[in-house]
Amino acid sequence: MSLNKIERSQGLRIRSTQDLGAGVFMIVLAGLALVLARDLPLGSLRQIGPGMLPTSFAVFCGILGLFLVITSLRFDGEQLSGWSWRGVIFVLGAAIVFGLTIRGFSIGPISVPSLGLLVSGPLVMLISGLAADDMKWKELIIFSVAMSTACILLFKYALSLPIPLAPWLLGI
Amino acid sequence: MDMFSNLALGFGVALSFQNLALCFVGCLVGTLIGVLPGVGPIATISILLPITFGLDPTGALIMLAGIYYGAQYGGSTTAILVNIPGEATAVVTTLDGHQMAKQGRAGIALGTAAIGSFVAGCFATVVIAALGAPLTKMALLFGPAEYFSLMVMGLCFAVVLARGSILKAFCMIMLGLLLSTVGTDLETGQERLTFGIPALADGIDFSVLAMGIFGFAEVLRNLEAPEARDVVRAKIGRLLPGWSDIKQSVMPCLRGTFIGGTLGILPGNGAVLGPFASYTVEKKIAKDPSRFGKGAIEGVAGPESANNAGAQTAFIPLLTLGIPPNAVMALMVGAMTIHGIIPGPQVMTRNPELFWGMIASMWIGNLMLLIINLPLVGLWVKLLQVPYRLMFPAILIFCCIGIYSVNNQPLDVAFTAMFGLFGYLLIKLGFEPAPLLLGFVLGKLMEEKLRQALIISRGSFVTFLERPISAGLLLVAVAVLVIALLPSMSKKRDEVFTE
Repeated sequence: MSLNKIERSQGLRIRSTQDLGAGVFMIVLAGLALVLARDLPLGSLRQIGPGMLPTSFAVFCGILGLFLVITSLRFDGEQLSGWSWRGVIFVLGAAIVFGLTIRGFSIGPISVPSLGLLVSGPLVMLISGLAADDMKWKELIIFSVAMSTACILLFKYALSLPIPLAPWLLGI
Repeated sequence: MDMFSNLALGFGVALSFQNLALCFVGCLVGTLIGVLPGVGPIATISILLPITFGLDPTGALIMLAGIYYGAQYGGSTTAILVNIPGEATAVVTTLDGHQMAKQGRAGIALGTAAIGSFVAGCFATVVIAALGAPLTKMALLFGPAEYFSLMVMGLCFAVVLARGSILKAFCMIMLGLLLSTVGTDLETGQERLTFGIPALADGIDFSVLAMGIFGFAEVLRNLEAPEARDVVRAKIGRLLPGWSDIKQSVMPCLRGTFIGGTLGILPGNGAVLGPFASYTVEKKIAKDPSRFGKGAIEGVAGPESANNAGAQTAFIPLLTLGIPPNAVMALMVGAMTIHGIIPGPQVMTRNPELFWGMIASMWIGNLMLLIINLPLVGLWVKLLQVPYRLMFPAILIFCCIGIYSVNNQPLDVAFTAMFGLFGYLLIKLGFEPAPLLLGFVLGKLMEEKLRQALIISRGSFVTFLERPISAGLLLVAVAVLVIALLPSMSKKRDEVFTE
């Protein structure tokens, strides 16, 4: 404890950017929830309204966030580390591409036909594979094709899930 | 004798060809992901959840349960051979198991772990079967107030037993509860916190949330921190422990089973504590404690038994009370609800074939694990050499197909990606997201019970304290929190979870 006291006497400063970020994150989310729930009737204890629990959970979240902020000013802790955007972009991007191409989409002038698992499958794996630092093209392409084939056999045929295969080519 | 006729019914269900096959697949997949570092049971079950839609509920749950305890088995294999705990519960096994492997006794360590787990699994199955009926009867006495207090207690345990900071675990539970209120209010039909998005009117989809946070975000986390794998190059050696090894590990194994089984019943993921507690006990009562950490077989037998016993008794709160004690069980709740089964005491009377079939399948599954694991160790070791750069695209395609198949809704995949980003943000901020899922699943149930209880009591909160069972549960909840927040205890807690 004495160590903490010494630190405390040095005044408040940001000692853990990670905890500070976490606290601010909780407070922002709580604030958002409070704004969204502001029109919902709270009701009474006898007859709880739809807004009662969202509001109280949000308040709790906010209080906890505040605690985290205070902690971050008083105790040493982890620092925020940088984001690896490469992973975020390729991995999540691959998933979004899958969602867009599996049954096709059209937003305004852009429209993509339903490509089906036959195309979307390898596409997901190829795009996401780019997220690895030690990516090797040849290996990734072979693996994507093999894995997609296995998935088609497993999901379309063995488990007969209603997922489009290649409507533009096979009509299914 | 009721228990035996029930067990007979269960074995009848579990021994059908389809269920045996599903149990086998579950165990195999479970072992596989237990072995592969970077893929946990939470991620796998959330990925495979949609695939089980086509199955009947009993078969689906048998398979998912198999994945869960299979992963506990597989986790110990990596702990021993690679010094990486495949699962959080296998952390202790790395201490002595890996040392044994370095001394060329890897095979014996693996064998002891498998046999210990099997013995523990057998006992745990009997315990579940024996406790199932009485606990269910007790659960029927529970009113809404008791249920609410029980869930509060469960969440308090979950906070205390979570890894990392208590405050942050608290945040995750609250956030989970908050997320659970998104969607249409069941009583008034009013939309809550939906941003006016129609897709959110039914609430946040459970599988979307689970897969985003545990599928995608985990991939992002693993991409960032590649694990160093230090595979034992030495021969694995013979698998079956010799007579002296058996003599040394019988008692630790039984003690471990008892400790793990008891802790596993606790709501709020007591199962995690089992291996730690068992290891500590073994070290305390050993004649020569200095052997521990240098390849003592008791340090493998005890925790491994505790681990498996806890993994199985964790089903008890779920099956009898309908309350999931940890994130994996929360997924089981999701699986049951998807199949139209409301978890709770009525499962046993309304779906006896599901209840007993699942219990019987656990025993069969344990036997299968013993049989598949030992001869296949060589194969698992080979799998360890699959690089992560190939593993995650495979995980991703499974995730995408799985999430699409839930509602045949391509938009869900994009939503999942969003939750993946959310999960990654949580990880970056130092949050451990498992309690969030528990809070999310319990949230809806808690709100319902709270409302009912307050209607019955005419709006008086005193009802939770007036009813003795409810008051007792709340008292335990408060006690647990207070004890955990005491400075001396929180220091010990840090030691346990960082060891």
